[in-house]
Amino acid sequence: MNLALLRHTWRTQRLKLVLVSLALAIWGFVLPVVYGAFGIDFREIFESGIFPEEFASFGGGDVFSLSGSIALGFIHPILIILVSVFAVGFSTSAIAGERQRGTLEVLLARPVSRRAVYATLALSVSGFIAIAIAAFLLGSTLGAGAAGVTDELAVDRLPWLWLNGVLLFGSFAAIGLAASASTDRLAPALGVTLAILVVMYFFDVLGSLWPDAEFLQPLSLFHYLQAKAILNGTAAASNSVPLGSVIVAGVVYALIVFPRRDLAAPS
Amino acid sequence: MMSAITTVGLTKHYGHRRPPIHPPFLEPSPLVRALEDLSIDVRPGEIFGFLGPNGAGKSTMIRLLLGFLHPTAGSASVLDLDVVRQSVEIRRRVGYLPGGIALYDSLTGERLLDYLVALTGRPPVRRDELCDRLELSQRTLRRLVRDYSRGMRQKIGIVQALQHDPELAILDEPTEGLDPLMQRAFYTILDDLRADGRTIFFSSHVLSEVERVCDRVAIIRQGRLVALEEIGRLLARRKRNVEMRLSGPAPRFDGVAGVSGVETTDGLLTCHLEGDVGPFLAAIAGAAITDLTIEPAHLEEAFLEFYEDAEADVENGLPAA
Repeated sequence: MNLALLRHTWRTQRLKLVLVSLALAIWGFVLPVVYGAFGIDFREIFESGIFPEEFASFGGGDVFSLSGSIALGFIHPILIILVSVFAVGFSTSAIAGERQRGTLEVLLARPVSRRAVYATLALSVSGFIAIAIAAFLLGSTLGAGAAGVTDELAVDRLPWLWLNGVLLFGSFAAIGLAASASTDRLAPALGVTLAILVVMYFFDVLGSLWPDAEFLQPLSLFHYLQAKAILNGTAAASNSVPLGSVIVAGVVYALIVFPRRDLAAPS
Repeated sequence: MMSAITTVGLTKHYGHRRPPIHPPFLEPSPLVRALEDLSIDVRPGEIFGFLGPNGAGKSTMIRLLLGFLHPTAGSASVLDLDVVRQSVEIRRRVGYLPGGIALYDSLTGERLLDYLVALTGRPPVRRDELCDRLELSQRTLRRLVRDYSRGMRQKIGIVQALQHDPELAILDEPTEGLDPLMQRAFYTILDDLRADGRTIFFSSHVLSEVERVCDRVAIIRQGRLVALEEIGRLLARRKRNVEMRLSGPAPRFDGVAGVSGVETTDGLLTCHLEGDVGPFLAAIAGAAITDLTIEPAHLEEAFLEFYEDAEADVENGLPAA
């Protein structure tokens, strides 16, 4: 790891980090408030049978309980897009973007090994994701307080939920960094990572809404985000294994490929 | 230190590979021989010019020295350190100015220099002096890089390469975008670095500046070394153009060493002169000459001449150098 690069990375990302964290905190605040205000009404509507039973749960989240509403916030496209600013946007541009702009050459002309560059960027993106998820959970906790439903919140399980979220988006960041370390241009790295994320999201949501497509869910990393189960104390620790495995595979791949790559002159 | 840079049979080929998983119809990309069996030796304390047209392999050579590329064959060492195994240590002791340098546009000039020197891990002992000589004021350094002109970017590039007083500076087209006054200031910086015992590896298209600042020059073509000589010796071998206006009979040059291509038209004699001028001067002694011009040899002509010769050799299947 390189401290000068770490400081530079955090300095250049700090405004983005503040804005994303603020937006996530607001988003996290909104859902418990909505649950507190309309949860009972929503439950009655769904129990009346107007909507199919499957529609009562979207990706493992709902609006009939505090844990369900926080889980809904986690799996909602708003959170995914906001966290992907770092998990996909930063991770894919961290190496391929610098390479495309030509600044990677200036960086690698210093006495910094490519592995150190990768490790520093990986640590940075992990930190950004960790802060972003923490901001969402902080907003959720404040929202639960504002809605007067704090007694329904298992505060002691929030660190596990935070870890689960960090592992999920960390796995996408590991894929993004591996793609970034493998190419000379940003577009392929971004395209591949985004495609994986979108397809996995589609698999998970489709599987949660359509029983015949349930078999697709284990193929999606989103399936291993067990927000509601963690808050309810029913999640299995083994759910973290696939997420951790993807992170390890991405890191190992990048640490092998990046130092061995030829970096020809930018065209 | 034995030498600043040594390459032995350094070779770099690109392409000719298919991805590990590929459809059967996918042909391997064509093999590009970017550098072929290059052996040079740059002495400590000299300014070494590295010449060649676009695509000759200059950038490939520099990138191999800095560990950006891995050699296909051969070996290279910089400051007696192996370019493959000790690349990080090499970069600690080397300053590098890439051709057409890209900078972090969102930083100010000062912050950029601070960042890059922090990555190097050595104090910027030459920064103030360099900024002063390249007329980069504090006010300029406090502006964002994105607002800089091309010339100012190049000045920042020069400062970042030299601010930590590296033992070896590798400079790729260093005067690109500099006005003539700044070019002159840059040449004096190079002279001072040489006087301080620093080594400069200088890649350029601008032959007049190579002639002005370099001690020795290597010329490459299609990845192969076609010449490696001291500038003075290269120029001495170069044919000079002679023009003389006559008011009487033309002097005879039959058998005069170094004189060729003699033509006389309407009292104007032109010829080429190569090597020692003594026999030529002896031959024209006593001739009725009203005007005489001997154009000095320039590296540009020597370079082009060399290239034409080498091209003919390569086409005839002869060794290029």
